[in-house]
Amino acid sequence: MIETTANPEAPARREGEQPAPDTDHVDEPQRTARGWGAGKAAAAAKRVDLRGVNLFYGDFHAVADVDMTIEPNKVTALIGSSGCGKTTVLRSINRMHELTPGARAAGEIEIDGENIYAPGVDPVVVRRLVGMVFQNPNPFPTMSIYENAAAGLALNSAKLSKSELDEVVERSLRGAHLWDEVKDRLDKQGSGLSGGQQQRLCIARAIAVEPEVLLMDEPCSALDPVATLAIEDLLQELKATYTIAIVTHNMQQASRASDHTAFFNLERSGDPGRLIEIGETTKIFSNPDKQATEDYVSGRFG
Amino acid sequence: MTTTRQGYVEELEELEKRALGGLDLVTETLTRTLEAIEHSDVELAEMVIADDDRIDGRYLEVHQSILTLLATQQPVATDLRLISALLHVMKSIERMGDQCVNIAKVIPLAGNEPPRDEEMITDIVTMGQQAKSLVAQAKTGFATRDVELSRDLVRQDDVIDNLNRRCFARAIEIGDDVDDREWGITMMLVARALERIGDNAVDIGEQTAFVVTGLFREFEDASHPGPAVG
Repeated sequence: MIETTANPEAPARREGEQPAPDTDHVDEPQRTARGWGAGKAAAAAKRVDLRGVNLFYGDFHAVADVDMTIEPNKVTALIGSSGCGKTTVLRSINRMHELTPGARAAGEIEIDGENIYAPGVDPVVVRRLVGMVFQNPNPFPTMSIYENAAAGLALNSAKLSKSELDEVVERSLRGAHLWDEVKDRLDKQGSGLSGGQQQRLCIARAIAVEPEVLLMDEPCSALDPVATLAIEDLLQELKATYTIAIVTHNMQQASRASDHTAFFNLERSGDPGRLIEIGETTKIFSNPDKQATEDYVSGRFG
Repeated sequence: MTTTRQGYVEELEELEKRALGGLDLVTETLTRTLEAIEHSDVELAEMVIADDDRIDGRYLEVHQSILTLLATQQPVATDLRLISALLHVMKSIERMGDQCVNIAKVIPLAGNEPPRDEEMITDIVTMGQQAKSLVAQAKTGFATRDVELSRDLVRQDDVIDNLNRRCFARAIEIGDDVDDREWGITMMLVARALERIGDNAVDIGEQTAFVVTGLFREFEDASHPGPAVG
């Protein structure tokens, strides 16, 4: 079991903020001596295994003993009431958890068999291969739509030619179902878009760097029902290419949009959150094994 | 843990009560139907036919409540299984009512004269009593989520099936007289309808098992006869 504390070299960032495009990592994506993430020609969905994962904020034990697999090319929904640790688990999968001062992770999280918490693994490389989309759409406010879509590339890749960059921006915006709506105003500010469009811009930014895994933390909770359904449709297309994990408070969203559902719960306030049950979404919502799951999905949990 | 959605929980309980109450309507109707058979009472038979509107009305009412609950409350898991089961139960109840109507419609064909075969009438009345007992057992089994009691419906239904076969044999043996044969065939239709009511009660038992276990299995597969399934 490997213990990891906050990386002292990691630039201090506010919770929920995307890495600013001004870091030192502007050359080729870094590879570890063990070859983690090496030889990657194009994005390929990867399986994520969590083994004995325990997560802490200082002395507070937030999440205990999580063992679960997030399957490739599937959407896995993480559900549970507030404070049950589902977002903390999500943030541990791209090593964002440790950015909170005092936060610490124990256990193993493997992406296709490679432990992302192994010594020598650069969290920045992990975060390039495991993209994150946040609850509130957060395009960089001073950047144009084009620059927003290209932001991750500026951060992660060697300099691309203008035509190469154009290609990636168009592909990403198309992938996020946004291209047709913005192709004539790519130089306009991203913050001028509607909430749903901004969220799709954030998805475009996340997939521009061709991650293997896409994490989404309540990506629709700030969106209207039409924009929400657009994102859910998009998930069904994105899963052909990526492994997707999504935290949601919207039970109908979990039942509509996910293939697998993981239910987290804590027995009482102050206890660590635990994974109660994970299974096919159809089973979790029709005949779950655990009474606590049944109570939660039926809305009978107070 | 506190209970939330109290209003919804009460609505669901009321829905089940209304649906299972349909079985009481069937019991009443069945009592009258048997009396009409025993006494060749054409007027009572007509009442049975007219009264079927009550069962049909209950069917429509429960069906509408189910649609409303599905549309507004998004039930899942056990709640969803219960609602799905109640739809099936209500359909079985509606079919039982229709079988009573089928019986009532043939009673005038049997004529006002005394029965041609007393023993066949006795068997049919016994079948009817047994069918009533199955209806009551199906209701209790569902209301108390008692899978064993529900599974026992298959054994109770065998009594009806055996009497039905005996009626069939008696109808064949009834003789050469045309009127006797007509009476015998008419009584076979009655026996057949009662036998179907028994099957409907078993169907309700299968729904009870589905609500409890989450697995739907026929207790007995008519197309693959053999010992009752698990």
